[in-house]
Amino acid sequence: MALEGNIRDFGLSDFLYLVDRGDKTGGLYLSRGQETALLFFERGKLVMAVRRPEDQQPDLLVRLGLLTESQLARARASLAARGNGATLTEVILAENLAPREQLQGALQSFSEEAVYGLFGWPEGEFRFEHNQRPDPAAPTIPSPISVDHLIMEGSRRIDELGRIKDRIPSTDLVVRFLDQPGVRIKGIKLSTEEWRVIARINGRDTLAEIAQKTNLKEFDVCRIVYGFLTAGLVEVVKKPVPMPLARGGPVETSRVKRSLVNRIISRIKGM
Amino acid sequence: MQTVKMVISGAVNAGKTEFIRSISEIEVVSTERRATDDTRMIKKETTVAMDFGRIAIGPDLVLHLFGTPGQKRFDFMWEILSEGMLGLVILVDSTRPETFRETNRIIDFFISYRDTAYVIAANKQDRPNAWSPEELRLALRQPPHIKVLPCVASDRESVKNVLLELLYVIQERSEE
Repeated sequence: MALEGNIRDFGLSDFLYLVDRGDKTGGLYLSRGQETALLFFERGKLVMAVRRPEDQQPDLLVRLGLLTESQLARARASLAARGNGATLTEVILAENLAPREQLQGALQSFSEEAVYGLFGWPEGEFRFEHNQRPDPAAPTIPSPISVDHLIMEGSRRIDELGRIKDRIPSTDLVVRFLDQPGVRIKGIKLSTEEWRVIARINGRDTLAEIAQKTNLKEFDVCRIVYGFLTAGLVEVVKKPVPMPLARGGPVETSRVKRSLVNRIISRIKGM
Repeated sequence: MQTVKMVISGAVNAGKTEFIRSISEIEVVSTERRATDDTRMIKKETTVAMDFGRIAIGPDLVLHLFGTPGQKRFDFMWEILSEGMLGLVILVDSTRPETFRETNRIIDFFISYRDTAYVIAANKQDRPNAWSPEELRLALRQPPHIKVLPCVASDRESVKNVLLELLYVIQERSEE
């Protein structure tokens, strides 16, 4: 079943997080007016992203200067001969038609730029088709790339306060590291400013206090923390306030008698 | 007579009224009014105060079910309703990703000050375009230990299952 929605309501970074943590394989179709984009993922990693339908075609490899026309023709012929399961990228590498690093670098940059441009979309319909894969002849990236990296870089390009405010409504919130951030987070590269902020995250200081201690603007701290938040590295929480001990006040769950809970369970089961 | 309370919350049109109606022993006391704001686009009538249902557990014990108003302007009611609650069901309309952010805001509200036992009910799982519970967990950024359960609020068995799963969470945290 396809997942559908609008990135106005469920942001691209949120969707990429879902793809990453859910190890999703499939095709993500985006459209906004006349603009379209198509992203393919394999087990949570990006294998191809294009903004124009023609860029899904193998000719892209020639346009990017990775292959000559004759090399491409040879690769396509080999692909046709191999048949089931093989991809054009695998054929190119197997037959040494282009160095792996060169193919990786060029196709990765091309796809990354296609994705980063999408972070600027304020809205757009999306549809994710599970288990859909690119055509075998499509110019896919040899080693699929981490989505965390895309989220961080994409978040750096967000300058809309409104979108940040959705996740960080106030600078009075405390930033703290998640107990178990995703293992893939280890590969993220941070800028100097981001390091300054991350070094100040202690689970006690608010965003406003971090801004004060780092001499950064509050908006910049929010933008940086938004990136960490979107990548699943940190969370923002309200500053704990001591709760008054009210007489006869709320019954805390931890103080409920098990016998009472068991009675309710029996009753519900019997309904 | 001892009473215990469970709260059913969620964004507008998540299915709170239907959920309580499916399990309550009494006709649900609901103060529904004709919607006059943006919710009119979603449903003709929406809950503007609260739903109230009741299940008698025994001669000396009653379970009350409270549905919270979905609109932001009734936020102040949430705090009142959450006082003394045994547990919380967060209902999500699995077919409307545009409500996921609001759902997160509601979860944050309820769990930020209290150590609340809660489960998430992924409602409308009978619809063809429903996001699966596991996809909802990721979309709502819920940790693995929080139960995200499939639900069809109009189906009594499905509602029973959600309440039982919440009660098992409460049971684990209760004292002998």
